[in-house]
Amino acid sequence: MIESIGYNVVQVLFVMAFAPLYAGVLSRLKEMVQSKRGPSILQPYRDIWKLFHKDEVLSDQTTWIFRVTPYLAFVMPLFVTILIPVLTDYPLVFAFMGDMLAGGFFLGVAGFFAALAAVDTGNPYGPMGASRTRMVGFLAEPVFMIVFFTVSFVSQSTIPYIVQQKWVVNAGAFFSPAHVLLLIAFLMLILAEGGRIPVDNPSGHFELAMIDESKGLEFSGRGAALMKWGGEMKFLVLTCIFLNVLVAPWGLAHGHTVADVLVAVPQILFKIFVFSLVLIVVETSLAKLRLFRISEFLGAAFIISVAAMVTSIFPGG
Amino acid sequence: MTLIAILAIPLLGALLCWFRPLRKHASSVTMLCSWAVFALVLDVAARVIARGKVVGIPGWFEADGLSALVLLLVSFVCALACVFARGYMRHEHDDGRLSWFYANYNLFAFAMLAVPCLAGPNLTWVAVELVTLFGALLVGFDNTASSLEAAWKFAVLTIMGAPIALFGFFALFWAYHSATGGASETWDGLRLMAGSMNPAVLRFSFLLVFVGFGAKSGLVPMHTWLPDAHSQAPTPVCAVLSGVKTTVPLYVILRFLGVVLASPTARVGNWMIVLGLVSVGIAAFLLVQVRDYKRMFAFSTVEHMGIILTAAGMASQAADFGAVSQILNHAITKSLCFYVAGVILLILSTREIGSVRGLLRISPFAGSALLFCSLAIAGAPPFPIFLSELSILSAGVEGGHKVVVAILATLIVIAFVAILSHVNRMLLGKPETPVLAYALPASCRFTVWAAAVPVLVLGVYIPAPVHSLLQLAAHQLGGR
Amino acid sequence: MPSSIPDALNTLCGGLILISAFAMVAVRQVQGVTRFFVAQSVLLATSCFLLAYSQHSMDLFALGLITIGAKVVTIPWVLRRLLPSEFYERREINQVINIPTSLLLSLLLAIFAEFLVSPMVNAAHNPVISLNLPIGLACLLIGAHSLMARREAIPQLIGILAMENGTFFAGIAIAPQLPIIAELAIAVDVALIAVVVGLLTRNIQETLGTTEAASLDELKEEVAE
Repeated sequence: MIESIGYNVVQVLFVMAFAPLYAGVLSRLKEMVQSKRGPSILQPYRDIWKLFHKDEVLSDQTTWIFRVTPYLAFVMPLFVTILIPVLTDYPLVFAFMGDMLAGGFFLGVAGFFAALAAVDTGNPYGPMGASRTRMVGFLAEPVFMIVFFTVSFVSQSTIPYIVQQKWVVNAGAFFSPAHVLLLIAFLMLILAEGGRIPVDNPSGHFELAMIDESKGLEFSGRGAALMKWGGEMKFLVLTCIFLNVLVAPWGLAHGHTVADVLVAVPQILFKIFVFSLVLIVVETSLAKLRLFRISEFLGAAFIISVAAMVTSIFPGG
Repeated sequence: MTLIAILAIPLLGALLCWFRPLRKHASSVTMLCSWAVFALVLDVAARVIARGKVVGIPGWFEADGLSALVLLLVSFVCALACVFARGYMRHEHDDGRLSWFYANYNLFAFAMLAVPCLAGPNLTWVAVELVTLFGALLVGFDNTASSLEAAWKFAVLTIMGAPIALFGFFALFWAYHSATGGASETWDGLRLMAGSMNPAVLRFSFLLVFVGFGAKSGLVPMHTWLPDAHSQAPTPVCAVLSGVKTTVPLYVILRFLGVVLASPTARVGNWMIVLGLVSVGIAAFLLVQVRDYKRMFAFSTVEHMGIILTAAGMASQAADFGAVSQILNHAITKSLCFYVAGVILLILSTREIGSVRGLLRISPFAGSALLFCSLAIAGAPPFPIFLSELSILSAGVEGGHKVVVAILATLIVIAFVAILSHVNRMLLGKPETPVLAYALPASCRFTVWAAAVPVLVLGVYIPAPVHSLLQLAAHQLGGR
Repeated sequence: MPSSIPDALNTLCGGLILISAFAMVAVRQVQGVTRFFVAQSVLLATSCFLLAYSQHSMDLFALGLITIGAKVVTIPWVLRRLLPSEFYERREINQVINIPTSLLLSLLLAIFAEFLVSPMVNAAHNPVISLNLPIGLACLLIGAHSLMARREAIPQLIGILAMENGTFFAGIAIAPQLPIIAELAIAVDVALIAVVVGLLTRNIQETLGTTEAASLDELKEEVAE
């Protein structure tokens, strides 16, 4: 029991510690692919550090929502972390408190408040970004749902730990069309939710074209740091769900000793590194879609996820 | 051996047409080949009537009643059409293109002849595809914008049926193979084993083949290529396309139907009746508003395909007989219609019904031929189509399909009135503009006469051999 | 659930083939459609080889080789030779129905395919059939749909060939013992289809100066003015 709680804390710390690194590696790799040198992979840490040491400016026009939002954006991904397998392949103490759907709700709360906060400021770009994020969200939601349904059809459960066991144990299920289609649909979702390239440009600085970034324009100091850190953690958590639950459920700690869990850390990091290479290839080979084409992109994700569900319900999937 | 010769001769003909020294005589070579094939087919038909079956290579090339009937129709129409082509294509093209046309024509004939000869369903599929391909090249022969458009529609819509039908044949093979465990697949074997095949798979494969080949025989809703192809293709090709090219895929469907009907549990008759009626209905109403006389005859083809399908779906002995005689009568009458349409086109060089007036005064020959053939195709009393339609309707009443018969009869009457009112407009009245005298090629004139003879004869008297051939074919169709 | 590794990899091929069928509906560029078709054909051939290995069937192996030869090498090459390169750089901006709707329809078709074959699959008790048959039928129907939704000549041709791919994917599962002569004849026929339609396309291009099949709308039943 104690050790289980301890590992849960380790998982949370892992996500907190490595989320900025993941963001740094991604941006560095991307610059390298584009024949540029790029910032150091530690740059996100420095950014966060710097922001924490700056004064926070709060408009007197804003309400409590604006003040609460950074904390929610920071905490919610951590709640998700205790529900999913980040380092261990056996359920930890809070694992049965909520399923993948609950994880979706936690992230949804953060997104909801971020949108409200953006409207709260009265800045013209904030509401625009908020409405765009909502649009992407609306389109992504059904895909999430269908993915969860499919997963529950295949493994009779939506608890991430149990789902993960399903793919590890059964190679036939791993290669089944339902699984392959599910992976592709979920990858497209991650790109959309994480604000990656075919949907949104994370390194863009042009306010009119922003989707995700423009919501955070009014935050400063500690608030900005928490928002940034929370966003990076959200992306890492999504990646962990994708990798540890759906794609490559290997490399997780199987034993119950501290050493086992610590050995899992570099293995997971390696997996994430490989995934970031894939992500970079996807991102550099695609162009950012025009806003109204995003519906096509997520529509395609929806189609694929429903196809996955269909092939899993009917015999042979 | 005769069956193989029947297939070899058109291939040889195609080669000879390509052969440079013979290019000038491509038309004569083709005529020679077609008539030789026709003679051989007559021999095959006689032997089928005597013995019930002719075997070329067992398991590969076989002919029974239904295939002998189709062979007879294909070879007859092809033989007459190339006589017509001799006069029709005379001034249009240079020798190179003309020899290309005839080579293609021979290949087209080869593929159509191969379909009824082949004993196995998979190769039948290949042959039907070849028919489509060479047909597409012939339709687009004129190379004008509209003929290419027609060829494109023809190619896309009918080739689209190919994979669908192939899927069906794979499923058929699956059903057959799991029932027999490895016997080679022939139509006869299929019919014998029909009872022990999985009825769900059998129905599924029939559905796919029906959709795939239904598109090729111009059944609604895949009929849209048919009027375009028929209005744009060179007229001799139209005669072949409409008279027998549509019949050939239908032959495969009917063959397959025989297999399905032999299975006690797989019921498909009602599908056929419904789709057949839909085809007849759509065609009848399109006939009312048609403005091009070649398209008019094309829609009438859709109508007749629907009638044949409805009759086959009724699945009684009398209706089967009606269906096969409808196949025969439609082929000979419709090819005549297109020869006449070609003659009118040569004389007036317009295809619009609206701009043809007083045809009887312009050319008494073309006018009376048009009157004759349109009465025949619409199903007026002394003509064979009247007889076969009547026998289908009465078979339907006997079989208890009263509603079907009522609808079918109404639609046939609508089509009848529509065709004759258009023709009436073309024949009577005064020519609006003076038309230059046109010397009709003798071969065209001959073809019309020659094609009219069987139409006239079969209406009043069915010779004993033809009757027994029809009965054999009807027997094959029923799966009994 | 398939147990052996070749069968497991075959299921992987099946999933990817279905995806490539969707992709062919979704892609706008002519070039892209062609690429996805080639990829799909490679997957089909892979599936042939895998099944040939697990069922020890020379026929299927030969069919895989034929597929590579015809659909991966010959057909793209012939189309390239036959048609000028500007064909491939074309983009279809206006399709008959827009792409999301088109994708939704393809999805419905895939569901319909599963629904249609499920009684047969249940009776067969064969994992390969229960995978290949529905996916093959889905590809067939999706190909037919894309044929109707497309306006360019080449994507229409590719649609037909994609339908053929679906048919073969089902065929290698349900009819692996099909005589090799029939397979050969069918393969030759498929290649001929491509050549003839390609020829027609070239003629259309030369005569009309466009390959937009949608511009072919001269012939229709006029309504009386």
